[in-house]
Amino acid sequence: MSNKKTYWKGVAQLESKEFANEIASNEFSEHLPVNDFLKEKKTLEESSTSRRDFLKFMGFTTAAATLAACETPVVKSVPYLIKPDEIIPGVPNFYATTIYDGRDYASVLVKTREGRPIKIEANQSSTSARSQATILSFYDSNRAKEPMYGGKSISWSKLDRQIRQNLSEVKDKKIVLLTTSVISETTLNLIKKFSSKYSNFEHIMYDSVAYDAILDANLESFGQRVAPKYHFDKSDVIVSFGADFLGNWLSQDYSKDYVNGRNPKNGKMSRHFQIETNMSLSGANADKRILIKPSEQAYLISNLYRALIGTDQIDERLKDVYLNLKKSKSSIVITDSTNKEVQLIVNAINHRLGNYKKTININNPCFLKKGKTDDLKQLVKEMNSGNVQVLITNGVNPVYNYENSKKFVSALNQVETFISCSLYNDETSSLADYLCPLHHNLESWGDANPSLNTYTLMQPTIAPLFDTRQFETNLLSWADESKDFHKYLKNYWSNKGIDWNKALHDGYFKFNQSINAASYRKSNLRNFEKVDDNRLELCLYEKIGLGDGALANNPWLHELPDPITRTTWDNYVTISASTAREYGLMNKTVANGALNGSLINLKADDVELKNLPVIIQPGQAKGTIGIALGYGRKKSGKVGDDVGFNAFPLTSKKYVDIELAEGEHEFACIQLHHTMMGRDMVKETNLDKYIKNPGSGNYREKYYTYKGKLPSDQVSLYEEHDLETGHFWNLSIDLTSCTGCAECVIACQAENNIPVVGKEEMRKSRDMHWMRIDRYYSSEMTKENAKKQDISSIKMYAQMEEPSEDPEVVFQPVMCQHCNHAPCENVCPVAATTHSNEGLNQMTYNRCIGTRYCANNCPYKVRRFNWFLYSENDQFDYHMNDDLGKMVLNPDVVVRSRGVIEKCSMCIQKIQALKLEAKKNGVTIKDKDAQTVCSSACSTNSIVFGDVTNKDSEVYKLRKDDRAYDLLDHLNVRPSVFYQTKVRNKQNA
Amino acid sequence: MHKESRIRDPLIDGNKTFHDITVEVAYPVEGKANKYWWILFGLSVILMLWGFGCIAYTIGTGIGVWGLNKTVNWAWDITNFVWWIGIGHAGTLISAVLLLFRQKWRMAINRSAEAMTIFGVIQAGLFPLIHMGRPWLAYWVFPIPNQYGSLWVNFNSPLLWDVFAISTYLTVSTVFWYIGLIPDFAMIRDRVNEKINPLKKKLYSLLSFGWSGRAKHWQRFEEVSLVLAGLATPLVFSVHSIVSMDFATSVIPGWHTTIFPPYFVLGALFSGFAMVETLLIIVRKVVSMEAYITIKHIEYMNVIILFTGSMVGIAYITELFMAWYSGVEFEQYAFLNRATGPYWWAYASMMTCNVVIPQLYWIYKIRTNIIATFILSIFVNIGMWFERFVIIVTSLHRDFLPSSWTMFSPTFVDIGIFLGTIGFFFVLFLMYARTFPVVAQAEMKTILKSSGSEFKKIENE
Repeated sequence: MSNKKTYWKGVAQLESKEFANEIASNEFSEHLPVNDFLKEKKTLEESSTSRRDFLKFMGFTTAAATLAACETPVVKSVPYLIKPDEIIPGVPNFYATTIYDGRDYASVLVKTREGRPIKIEANQSSTSARSQATILSFYDSNRAKEPMYGGKSISWSKLDRQIRQNLSEVKDKKIVLLTTSVISETTLNLIKKFSSKYSNFEHIMYDSVAYDAILDANLESFGQRVAPKYHFDKSDVIVSFGADFLGNWLSQDYSKDYVNGRNPKNGKMSRHFQIETNMSLSGANADKRILIKPSEQAYLISNLYRALIGTDQIDERLKDVYLNLKKSKSSIVITDSTNKEVQLIVNAINHRLGNYKKTININNPCFLKKGKTDDLKQLVKEMNSGNVQVLITNGVNPVYNYENSKKFVSALNQVETFISCSLYNDETSSLADYLCPLHHNLESWGDANPSLNTYTLMQPTIAPLFDTRQFETNLLSWADESKDFHKYLKNYWSNKGIDWNKALHDGYFKFNQSINAASYRKSNLRNFEKVDDNRLELCLYEKIGLGDGALANNPWLHELPDPITRTTWDNYVTISASTAREYGLMNKTVANGALNGSLINLKADDVELKNLPVIIQPGQAKGTIGIALGYGRKKSGKVGDDVGFNAFPLTSKKYVDIELAEGEHEFACIQLHHTMMGRDMVKETNLDKYIKNPGSGNYREKYYTYKGKLPSDQVSLYEEHDLETGHFWNLSIDLTSCTGCAECVIACQAENNIPVVGKEEMRKSRDMHWMRIDRYYSSEMTKENAKKQDISSIKMYAQMEEPSEDPEVVFQPVMCQHCNHAPCENVCPVAATTHSNEGLNQMTYNRCIGTRYCANNCPYKVRRFNWFLYSENDQFDYHMNDDLGKMVLNPDVVVRSRGVIEKCSMCIQKIQALKLEAKKNGVTIKDKDAQTVCSSACSTNSIVFGDVTNKDSEVYKLRKDDRAYDLLDHLNVRPSVFYQTKVRNKQNA
Repeated sequence: MHKESRIRDPLIDGNKTFHDITVEVAYPVEGKANKYWWILFGLSVILMLWGFGCIAYTIGTGIGVWGLNKTVNWAWDITNFVWWIGIGHAGTLISAVLLLFRQKWRMAINRSAEAMTIFGVIQAGLFPLIHMGRPWLAYWVFPIPNQYGSLWVNFNSPLLWDVFAISTYLTVSTVFWYIGLIPDFAMIRDRVNEKINPLKKKLYSLLSFGWSGRAKHWQRFEEVSLVLAGLATPLVFSVHSIVSMDFATSVIPGWHTTIFPPYFVLGALFSGFAMVETLLIIVRKVVSMEAYITIKHIEYMNVIILFTGSMVGIAYITELFMAWYSGVEFEQYAFLNRATGPYWWAYASMMTCNVVIPQLYWIYKIRTNIIATFILSIFVNIGMWFERFVIIVTSLHRDFLPSSWTMFSPTFVDIGIFLGTIGFFFVLFLMYARTFPVVAQAEMKTILKSSGSEFKKIENE
């Protein structure tokens, strides 16, 4: 049976079959005339598509398909699903907070990008190299990451329960809390609360580098155990017996005040005498250094006092000091003595000179140092006698930095419960029963009271990276309080009438503290007599970079060249050349220029240290050695372990015996020549000459031309860049106010993603720092001397290489000079380095093929080559090889690949951001707004950046200053960076 | 027809006939390699592979595997580059300049000298390439139209001039060399038995471009040779002048001197002739070419070495004088440091090898003694390497700011690459000696009747 039914596809089919077929055939794609085309030979032959064409098309498509497949690897970035209100990608947020690690204090602004902190800038106080470098320690993957009990991880709640249990079990034995100096009022308050909850509680503070003597002396003289406020800016004469106040002394930054008192423009500068053993940063800046042995210090101070009161003849060495002090209206006398009796004499001297009314304000004290070393000694005794049941430590590492670490460790065995609150599972924490990992400052709440009436707040700039807690939260939860320290802090200050939101925004607030006005009380002063001792003496010091070693796992600080020795990744024994000769010690350079030094074995009473490297240090007192603290960590992390040796066991040792040991030490010293070789890179003058002629010392050679004799900048073969239109950025560096503190070096490293290359590479003179601080010593041999003594040039230059044993020191920060007739720009074959019309020499990394011709032709040797891949390379296992460490990188600055040259860009990313901002707002850029990181980090304002087309700008005035000069101006490369002559205030001859 | 004074010494010894020349020149190509060839070749290949390994290591890891640092950014790399380029110079001088001056003695040595030039330039060309931080982008030094925007090369840079100078030099030298080879390839082609060795026949047929020895061919051959000689002559002077400008146009004391172009050219000829001697003294022995490369040839070359060596000495002394006379303390220190600083030994080696030792050639017995010549030629090679090392490293290691002063010492990679290029050079040269006619036999035949010993004898009688 057939089905006759017809199903219509549409009405059209019903009406006309042909029409329906036609539209049906048209319904889909066009008919391809392949068959028509192929079946007819004629059309085929007429067609223009030949077999050749076919192959071409084929080739093209294959190539195109292949190329499309060769896409660069895609790195996925995940956008915000819901964007936090305060975050605009690409725009930084700044949070005002405080950095205090128990030692270094700074009120700072933290720059965060997309929620992660990347840079630290000064806020209410100035910053230092270490506070700048803290940002990297924050992203340290070796930090303690979770609470632990007996080496195993444990939850916070369980830990709290157990600790509360332990604490409540204490009956007649003691609970001791051991911390560094606590400068937070709320924390002290909490501790007080805690102590009221648990009986037999004791809180002990100690500083790794003790300042007991000065604090105790002030307690005796003024009734207050504090350090006073020193006004170095108001002082005509500064006499420092060993106190490195421009370095680490009292952990205070006095450089700003110091430099303010030394501005030759005012026609008046303080005269600075430094009477010291080691070559310190302060000594390097002093107008006169007097070299003494540590054992002579007490006598000389005592002698000075007696001379001032007229009971004794002044010692010949102190004659200048004495006369200047007598003459001056205001002065400061300080010492680093650890002997309270000596500090008392210093107080008496200052009192005698009337300094407490003018330059030293005991009624405006600083609270940064509160430690009592005797308490710690007492504690060790008590622990040993089994009197301490629970020991809680916070942010201290006595196993590393207590003088008698072994004794402390054995005493720990008598402690029932040892709770360590620490950032790291370090030497001390690894012995603890409970490890309570701490928040970093950048994750914590808090406040700080560094000096009278000054309060700063600490706030988190990021959510905690690890399962950590801040110390205050620990205290709260162990005292059974609410765990919310933020609320506690806020309430504490709000209750005192502080506008919390404003204070938090500013980062600081004023709050009047009550303090009893102190007046000087006389005490019995001891007479110190002259000692004649031929034994070798020891003088310990802290480096600008590493300090007391708490930040030992920070590669930036290890790689920061010490401003004095310019050596990295090491501590060592410094010794004078003549003493070194006595012991048969030497320094030499090997074939690749690197420095090698002798090794010694050192013995001081019961302490023996083997194979210590020796550096011959110009300006070291004869018969003495210096050693830096802070090195030789054993459990600091992958970077800091076993770098150098630990000198804390030598803390109270005065005399040492040394002997030459076998072998040589390989240093990573990046400056191998210490003198200026009769050249005038650093131009110098003295104040009296400067007053007569502000251009003194700033001699400019003139050259014969057809127009007569002209200075180099008026002679040129080149076509000039147009530097009048738009901006013309210049940078001025004042060599008078630069103290060589190296903060700018770290700031630059942080801002510009400068890699860390490690000791081996530093040793090969492959440092990557974009800015360096050259340090030169004076030499006994000068051109004048050679002429006088009729010495041949060969001999003269050979002797010029030798620095004087008691040299004058100059510092010279050098970065890319941004030459407007740049030798580097000419020679690049691919034009990877070019000039901007804003006076900057620009480096295009992407275009660089790495011939290094530019680096050779740079007269300042500021160009740095990426010899290896420094990021994500196991050979360079520092922060850039670490997912967490990489968080510190500035997203505005590219991370350079291997094989390209890099150098200072004058922080072009900051300039561009500023210009965009100004353009958007339709305003012109104000003078102070434009800053490089080195200029903004510089606490003495010796680096000034700006636009010289703006005639009102500071940098324009500095450019026109009589002191301004271009480095190597005879080359006529016309740098955009220029220097101001160094003015000293030496005694007139 | 060339006419030569009969009192001149013959340029072809041993009473050769035309056929003798053909057979003797073709012999190394047709015969089997001897043991010495294989030993030498084996050693060279090992050195070459070692060098290639070091190059691969450098490119894979970074320039940091060399001994360079922030102050001395060039050392062995550019020293080797200039040294090899310099070695190449004698070849072009012999084939081009001496052709124009119609010095017939060049015919015996020009083939090998030019081969040396080309192989030397190949070694030289390696260094600018591998000394780059990112050699895979080396093509950026060519002005290639591109779509990267306004990217273009920097015509102010002497390194770019180098690119053009060296590539031109290599091209012209190769073409010149090849033109000279055509009649000789044809000779070998004609002697190959097609039945026994069809591949060889085919290969030499291709290489000889259908040369048939017709008068027209000879006429064109002579014309092209002359034209190329004219083109190549300025190159002899330009290449090394431009290489010297890498230094002369810089600001570094010790580099920044106007004397460099002539000084470098003379130095290059000096080292080039020394290398030609080193090679040919071996070649003439190994492939028995004593009849064609005679003591007279060696003596001529020694005279040139004596002359150029003395000129180089004058240049050294002029530099010292100018440093003193200029009154520029940086310049003065640079030269004082060269002579008396930590690299005094390099300067002393250079002075001894380049200035003092070639003066021995004033003595007739020494300049006509094969062994003495061979030893002295090695000294000159070493001396000229040190010259470049002294110029590059001692100028850089102490320039303007003493804070950056440091030193350089090579790593095993630096040394490995240098030895590797020597190996590579000898691999090429040894292969050449087995496959190419090492003496321009066609040209030699043109002087047989005027300078051959037999014909001299006849004339003298």
